[in-house]
Amino acid sequence: MNVRKMTQLAMLTGVALIIFVIELQIPNPFPIPGIKLGLANIITVYAVYRFQAGEVMMIVFCRIFLAAVFSGNMMALAYSFAGSVLCLAGMLLLRKIIDKKHIWIASVFGAILHNIGQISIAALVMGTGILVYLPFLLLSGCLAGAFTGGCAQLIIRRLKETMRYDES
Amino acid sequence: MSKQKILMIICVVVFLLGIAGSILVLLTPHGTQVNIVQDGIVLYTIDLTTAQDQTLEIEYKGRTNIVQIENGRIRMLEAECPDQTCVHMGWLDSGAMPIVCLPNHLSIEYAGSGDNIDAVIR
Repeated sequence: MNVRKMTQLAMLTGVALIIFVIELQIPNPFPIPGIKLGLANIITVYAVYRFQAGEVMMIVFCRIFLAAVFSGNMMALAYSFAGSVLCLAGMLLLRKIIDKKHIWIASVFGAILHNIGQISIAALVMGTGILVYLPFLLLSGCLAGAFTGGCAQLIIRRLKETMRYDES
Repeated sequence: MSKQKILMIICVVVFLLGIAGSILVLLTPHGTQVNIVQDGIVLYTIDLTTAQDQTLEIEYKGRTNIVQIENGRIRMLEAECPDQTCVHMGWLDSGAMPIVCLPNHLSIEYAGSGDNIDAVIR
């Protein structure tokens, strides 16, 4: 891995963290555990479509670990980790099928898988009663995923010209 | 039909399932018995129609949650956790949807909702 690639990955991780911290300050209108916009995942989706699998994982796992440290919510780490693993696995598979004009579909699937991962861990910890949240999580996953995916799609289109050099 | 079309249709189906499921959960009627559950163990069972106004303190690994009962309603008044989601959920009103504090493994739920499944697991 060359220095340029490493710097890019580090920068994206930093951007994702900044987005995460800003989002923390926005009050959540839907107080249900696990429901949030997840704006930091704009970077995740962007990375899935621009980098190799290993590099994407580096960005995402660094981000969720540091995010847990920054928010002081280490207990949430297990939830976001399980969610991210599922979400990444799904999106890395889907990027072979879904082209760059329909990134939002991959993102919706990513978000849904993320929520399913989260709620599975929650069901392990809390008992299966918590599964009644699943419909709300699916709903919010679809909306949030479509939004973050749309943003990532815009970014990829706009940056295509300026960042062509890093294909080499 | 292309694979992308199929995937898009799956998205829409999941979205509709989400809407339908959410409506079902929100409309579930509830009884008067409330369970306060921690780590799958029922700590308290309270009948809201007869319970006096009170607050309960429940501890988990050094962190305290305060549950308030007032006028036959119940809510999480305070929670020592970073996200405060359970406090923001307000009073318990859906028969199926519990108030959950994930960090402290605590939930408040109406008894009789989904008990058939839970009874086996607990």
